[in-house]
Amino acid sequence: MSRSPLANLRPGREPAATPPVPRPKSVAPEHLTVPARPWFVWISLLVVWLLSLLPWRLWPSAPDLLLLVLAFWSVHEPRRVGMATAFGFGLLMDVHDAGILGEHALQYTLVAYGAIVLHRRLQHFDLWSQAMHMLPVFFLAQLLVRAMHSWLAGAWPGWQWAAGCALTAALWPLAGWLLQLPQRRPEDSESTAV
Amino acid sequence: MQQHATPRLFKRGPSAEIRLFVLVVLAMVLLVLDTQMRVLEPLRQAVAVVLYPFQRAVLLPRDAVVQVNDWLNAARLVRSENEALQRQRIELAQVSTHAAQMAAENAQLRRLLGVTDTVSQSAVVVEVLYEPPNAFNRRLVFNKGSASGIAPGMPVIDEGGVVGQIVRVTPMTSEAALLTDEQVSIPVQLLRNGLRLIAFGGNVPGKVEVRYFAADADIREGDTLITSGVGKLFPAGLPVARVERVDRDSASGFARAIAEPLSHPERYRHFLVLQISEDDAEPAEPQAVQAPVPGEEPAAAPPAAEPAPDPAPPMESPAVVPQPSR
Repeated sequence: MSRSPLANLRPGREPAATPPVPRPKSVAPEHLTVPARPWFVWISLLVVWLLSLLPWRLWPSAPDLLLLVLAFWSVHEPRRVGMATAFGFGLLMDVHDAGILGEHALQYTLVAYGAIVLHRRLQHFDLWSQAMHMLPVFFLAQLLVRAMHSWLAGAWPGWQWAAGCALTAALWPLAGWLLQLPQRRPEDSESTAV
Repeated sequence: MQQHATPRLFKRGPSAEIRLFVLVVLAMVLLVLDTQMRVLEPLRQAVAVVLYPFQRAVLLPRDAVVQVNDWLNAARLVRSENEALQRQRIELAQVSTHAAQMAAENAQLRRLLGVTDTVSQSAVVVEVLYEPPNAFNRRLVFNKGSASGIAPGMPVIDEGGVVGQIVRVTPMTSEAALLTDEQVSIPVQLLRNGLRLIAFGGNVPGKVEVRYFAADADIREGDTLITSGVGKLFPAGLPVARVERVDRDSASGFARAIAEPLSHPERYRHFLVLQISEDDAEPAEPQAVQAPVPGEEPAAAPPAAEPAPDPAPPMESPAVVPQPSR
């Protein structure tokens, strides 16, 4: 008795296993993840902020880890981390860098906006495609701020920061993997290791 | 993008576009205000005070490593330092007797002329906290601020000479623009013949530039530039830079020289901030650490001894008042 419905279903399901329109490989099947815990979000932001106070950022094309994590949470937890948070952290970085007030704030706000606009789309892609989506966002936000700065200061700083943008985007999959670790469901984490 | 058309089930506050607009306008206002006016200094200071404990905490491991390293290398360090100091002592002994003689003579001459001067300067020893990453300017952030009596405009020196100038202070930190920063200009004179000039930072990375002097002025490679004391902000006689190259442009009638700074802000972590207030050359509040100015003063004596024909520089009183805001 119990076999007959299965036997009826099997031949019907077989063609449906491959969808009529082939799904691109970059589109990941929806992972069921639990929402990130608030303390984890804030602790991760605090840690990258503290890391950003260290002198390794003297390298002209250093990636902006704080921006990376802010953007990641703007994509995955847009209700919790948004443009206001990005603005606040940007202001802190401005004071630390002894630069013009509002420079990092503007850049971070723009990136957070880009992330929030893209967040529904991005959640269907795997981490590498997300990074590809975010690269222009990082680049355009930085370009706008650099243009603004050179208008105010009267000098163009060169293009080394573009490498920093690329590095930031390249670190997205790693950061995403790390930041999503605690949100994996227990059974999910066993089946898909990556 | 399509989701915006759907009715909202949950209250979410203003839409993303409105928030973006407000924050971008706010950032733009901050940018323009901070570049054009100095009204944002209180905000910056308040944030800096909040930031300071975090900056110190984050840098603690580095400081610990440096200390352990120093401790492990103590014997070798002490030996090499001792040798260097011995050598320096022998070199300075001669200079100091000469300087003492000159000082006595100078004091007598000043008495004769009725000139009063207060040579005693108080100074604060500061340590580099960090170097802000910024493509446009050369800055250092020190670990003491207005709480230790540091104010914008005070000169910063090391054992080589002038390092730069304080441009911004917060209660616990202070920010100095190095000689090579584009905002710094220092009145200098040639040690050899007393020619008064102005040194600017900025155009050539890592160097200072001397501009606005006639193409036939007596300035050569290897000349040492010292502060002239014009403008009263930098005390006279501090070594500044050594001329590396002189470009004479016969078409414009002016020349410029590129000079290598004699101080080494990249090498050590301790510097001296001379407490000279901006309006006059009188020492600031004597509440801070009283440290004697190290052996630069003897070097001040030679230029006075050689009164040279002094071609009038095109700019007499240079703009040495720092511009603390960007």
